Amino acid sequence: MWRKSKPYLLLLPATGAIILLFFGGIFDGLLKSFGYFPAIGQTDLNLAAYERLLSSGAFWESLRLTLRVAALSSLLSALIGALVAIALFFLNDAMRTKSPKAWHRLFQLPLTIPHLVAGYIIVLLFMQSGFVSRILAAIGWIDDIADFPVLVNDPFGWGIIFTYAWKEAPFVSLMLYPVLSRIHGSWREVSRVFGAGNWPFIREVVMPVMMPAWTVATFIVFVFTFSAFEVPYLLGVTYPSVLPVYSYQLYTSGTLADRPEALAINMILAAMTILLGLVTYYFSKRWNVLKGWG
Amino acid sequence: MSDLRIIDIQKRYISAQAREENPFMLHPVRLAIREGEFFSLLGPSGCGKTTLLKLVAGLLEADGGELWVGDENLTNVPPESRRFAMVFQQSLLFPHKTIEDNVAFGLKMQKVGKQQRLKAAREMLEHVGLSGFGSRFPDELSGGQQQRVALARALVANPRVLLMDEPFSALDPGLRQEMRELLSRIQKEFRVTVLFVTHDRDEAFALSDRIAVMGEGKLQQVGSARELYERPETTTVASFLGLRNILGGVIENGHFASSDKIMEAAVHLPLSDGDYFMVIRPEAIKASENGQSGHARVRGVVQEMKYGRGIYSLIVKVRKQLLECVLTIAQAEKTAVGEPIDLFVDMKEVWFLKE
Ligand SMILES: Nc1ncnc2c1ncn2[C@@H]1O[C@H](COP(=O)(O)OP(=O)(O)O)[C@@H](O)[C@H]1O
Ligand SMILES: [Mg+2]
Repeated sequence: MWRKSKPYLLLLPATGAIILLFFGGIFDGLLKSFGYFPAIGQTDLNLAAYERLLSSGAFWESLRLTLRVAALSSLLSALIGALVAIALFFLNDAMRTKSPKAWHRLFQLPLTIPHLVAGYIIVLLFMQSGFVSRILAAIGWIDDIADFPVLVNDPFGWGIIFTYAWKEAPFVSLMLYPVLSRIHGSWREVSRVFGAGNWPFIREVVMPVMMPAWTVATFIVFVFTFSAFEVPYLLGVTYPSVLPVYSYQLYTSGTLADRPEALAINMILAAMTILLGLVTYYFSKRWNVLKGWG
Repeated sequence: MSDLRIIDIQKRYISAQAREENPFMLHPVRLAIREGEFFSLLGPSGCGKTTLLKLVAGLLEADGGELWVGDENLTNVPPESRRFAMVFQQSLLFPHKTIEDNVAFGLKMQKVGKQQRLKAAREMLEHVGLSGFGSRFPDELSGGQQQRVALARALVANPRVLLMDEPFSALDPGLRQEMRELLSRIQKEFRVTVLFVTHDRDEAFALSDRIAVMGEGKLQQVGSARELYERPETTTVASFLGLRNILGGVIENGHFASSDKIMEAAVHLPLSDGDYFMVIRPEAIKASENGQSGHARVRGVVQEMKYGRGIYSLIVKVRKQLLECVLTIAQAEKTAVGEPIDLFVDMKEVWFLKE
């Protein structure tokens, strides 16, 4: 009994602190979102903040933007990630004797760069006065850098979407690659003998095999981009802003009365994240017991 | 006629790793396989059988040579357009497809309609004794059943040539026997041209119309099982076929004398004088003379006796030479390990070859 529980007991101080800070923080936020604020004499709990939030146009506008940005960035990174993974797979196949390591490293590069830095890179590259725009102006594709489309700090959120697509695509391919490498090298030979060229092979074998992992990876990216703060804070516009940024704006607006609303947004975000996380978990579990993989 | 003709196809592997001493090389191969023939490539592991098969399939690019089926030159046709089929050592079924869909794969690639190809797949599954298994997934089948599915998948698209690379070597002996019979029956029924690779002599002998013995990247000899076994052209072929009684010696004036002087006898074949190897099949050695002439007598000591399926196989030591022979149970019971024994070599049954 003692021997079994000893490691857990030894971990208790660390886990205790984490649990206290994490769940304590959430609990504190939850209380405050219900209007509990002893410092100014508020001790009764109510749903006023949630009511105000759900009836404000700004909240719905922000939610719409958040969903759109998350959906587009996860779809885009899913697409790019899959292309990269398949490309690596065929590359590996073609150069079995040589080392494909360099390519792997290159595609893994975005994974090692923090989101904040990635955001700055996108800003520097795609701002109207940025690198790309200046190059295009210099070679005469556009007359003036002001003709370059507003891709950073734009109301639609393209800058955010680009950043996430660039940053999360390698994550998607990293999730896909091991699945692809389960594809037996000889399956390619079998299908060739039976008349399948490259495209039929991708359609008939590669796609069905990687579909489950692909869907789960896309889901994870969606959940992440849905609740992430720093990239939209850096690359978004003041209005409309995505939910995490909107919450921050409310919290730091200067009026204490806005704070319960800010925390209510956080609670809604947390609830949705947990929900989406559970859905992802459920599907990843279900698809892991893949028919026929034995 | 749609014969398969392999004309001087050759291949040298270039290794990327620090220059290997001597990378494997498949020497130019020239073979003509008749339509509907069951042709085997027989040789020890590593002699280049798979390499040759993959060259024929187009999965490897040849360094030179041509491949024809009938009057069609397939040398530069990619494998997906050759209308060949292949069965590998593992079944290599697609795990995410049902058995039916696996079998119908080739037809799907040929853009045959869904109803039609599933119908054909079911019929072919019936032929291999798996009707009713169509909606299962590969992991719900045993190894032998999976290999039957692989066979059905290969045959359903009516291939010009069926290539098989040691398809039964991963199965246990009973199952292997069963699969050989199935393959033999189906091959005759569909009259499909088969190029079959194996390292198993008995398998090649049981199935093939003709066999090519391969060794060290070269074709050694081509012929029927009987021709190869009774008239091997080289000692390599003879010993690969399990013929271990090979005696070096000289023929002079129609008389053979082995160099270790254990036997001397008149030769029944019209051979000119010179150095020869005499190959004695175990069946050509008898334990009694039977009153017939033309036997050479040797005296030795029984060194080993092994019982095998109704006969005894003996190793007899004659001076330094070991001779392998087979005896009936009655003959074997008269002797024992360590006993002296008289053996009679039927000179009409021996074979001479020049190296
Ligand atoms: N891709 C390859 N690159 C280099 N050498 C190879 C390759 N494939 C096979 N070989 C070598 O070629 C020889 C023949 O191989 P293989 O055709 O598979 O023999 P078998 O099928 O008769 O056992 C072996 O010595 C093997 O090591
Ligand atoms: Mg092989």
